[in-house]
Amino acid sequence: MLDIRDLTKSFGKGDSTVTALHEVSFTIAEGEFFTLLGPSGCGKTTLLRLIAGFEPPSGGALVLDGQDIAQMPPNRRPVNTVFQNYALFPHMTVAQNVGFALGAQGRPKDEIARTVARMLDLVQLGHLAHRKSGELSGGQQQRVALARALAPKPRILLLDEPLSALDMKLRKEMQVELKRLQQETGLTFIFVTHDQEEALTMSDRIAVMSGGRIQQIATPRELYDQPANRFVAGFIGESNFLDASCAHGKLVLPQAGAPLPVTHPDGPVTLMVRPEHVFLGPAPGAGLSVPARVERLVYFGTDTHVHLMLADGAGLVARVQNALRGGAPCAEGDAISITLPADALRLLPKEAA
Amino acid sequence: MARRSFDIRRLPGAATLAITCFVILYIPLVILVVNSLNAGKAINVWEGISLRWYATALQNEGFLNAASTSLILAATAALVATVTATMAALATTRSKGFRGEGTINLVLNQPLMVPEIVLAIALLIILAQVKQVTGYTGLWYLIIAHSAFCIPFAYMPVRARLQGMDLTLETAASDLYASRFYTFRKVTLPLLAPAVLAGFMLAFVVSLDDVVISEFLKSPGQDTLPTYLLGQLRRNLTSEIYAISSLLLLISVLIVAGSWLLTRKKT
Repeated sequence: MLDIRDLTKSFGKGDSTVTALHEVSFTIAEGEFFTLLGPSGCGKTTLLRLIAGFEPPSGGALVLDGQDIAQMPPNRRPVNTVFQNYALFPHMTVAQNVGFALGAQGRPKDEIARTVARMLDLVQLGHLAHRKSGELSGGQQQRVALARALAPKPRILLLDEPLSALDMKLRKEMQVELKRLQQETGLTFIFVTHDQEEALTMSDRIAVMSGGRIQQIATPRELYDQPANRFVAGFIGESNFLDASCAHGKLVLPQAGAPLPVTHPDGPVTLMVRPEHVFLGPAPGAGLSVPARVERLVYFGTDTHVHLMLADGAGLVARVQNALRGGAPCAEGDAISITLPADALRLLPKEAA
Repeated sequence: MARRSFDIRRLPGAATLAITCFVILYIPLVILVVNSLNAGKAINVWEGISLRWYATALQNEGFLNAASTSLILAATAALVATVTATMAALATTRSKGFRGEGTINLVLNQPLMVPEIVLAIALLIILAQVKQVTGYTGLWYLIIAHSAFCIPFAYMPVRARLQGMDLTLETAASDLYASRFYTFRKVTLPLLAPAVLAGFMLAFVVSLDDVVISEFLKSPGQDTLPTYLLGQLRRNLTSEIYAISSLLLLISVLIVAGSWLLTRKKT
């Protein structure tokens, strides 16, 4: 539905040019909850502003329903935005805010009134229609901003970190609420966030961005289980990284005993394993057995983080679920043998550190 | 506990100095207003409170003519200045930097820097010629001149408000299908209105109080309130002049206070 082709954005001129977006290409499907995830400065907000039309792209195309909208002004694009600070019009009531777009489109008054009432019902704010926006709480303003952006029935709803100004409890509620709204309206959402938990719990697909480039586009589960590179593995969840190499169909980890047969081209690799997949002691099935020393135990309630040191000084963290009985799995200073199960290992291309 | 930070209020003599300044500023005004209420004819003999001098003034044709000229002049000049200043402020804050923006700022604020008497003489030289050629001796010379030097006073509050306004509001309007004009009419202008009104009031007061330019540019027989007062002073000081001055003071104070109320931050 929305086809983004080689989209590029640079700011500044001459020597001071900064490229915020490097030839980004991907496609968003109808009805998808699509998230742009990345640290600040990764280009996710720039990409959103290009889709909204607040900035012209330096190159590339934005094809919506077969039409290139890259040069179209924002007020002619069937795309609406929920802003990070909500940007509600302070001199208008809630109802006037929600009806703004319809008024600008010159729709008849009774139609505007009906749509506004329906939208306010959708976000459960019908009773506040005649309040000024400044008299609302943060969560209520958020809902008004949503209703305002949904009222003109856009093809795509853009959300620019809309939950970042809310406190933790409200944020969780709004996550559920947003997902409900998206499913109820069947609308395509493009959601920008730096919060991986938000991204994982709400999205159909996530684009992880860094340095103005897309690092990986995948479902939340694929991103977590099969990260494409070290950045994605490090940004989504926690990971252990070890230097290893592949030779003649075998994975060689210097600190481990026997090598493991793999199908991977020869050469140096970065071995990634999630902390919850590290076994203390032997484990069933194929795996790498590695001697380690327990450095520190950190208690987290549901689980314990075991900080381990391997023979060459490399660090590794194992996360062990706390059992109902039996106490700690090991003690600080213990020399133990850990197992990295073969199916938990991910081989990532080795990058310059 | 000793406060380390510098606080001007704690400097020795600061309070005394401040109070002295206020006394010097305000005592003459108080005396003026008190004198205007004097029932007696002689200005230095107190004979009780009365509004008779106000009544006298309000029946004085010369005063009434000057007052109406002043009000028409101030209202028209303030209107022209406010519209111009608002457009200028929009241009200098809402469009991307353009060539000559600094120059425009300088030109707009020129009346704040050029000595008024110099401006008055310069205008006099030109307008004397124009008057000869056209034969027109009406109020428009004063209206144009007042409009020009009122612009910076209207410009300042409007520009300050525009700079302080959240730009995402206008972005949001454009996102919600509003054209530039619709955005201006429904979002920018309503949010700007208090500053525009404040600018209008400041310009109005500045025009109302102006002596120098009016005195130089007025046609024979034409008088604004300040030039009328100046003319009366050349004869002798009467309680009626005190009453007229007090009225002018009252109008100015009310308008400036109104302007301040409109621009102060709501907390």
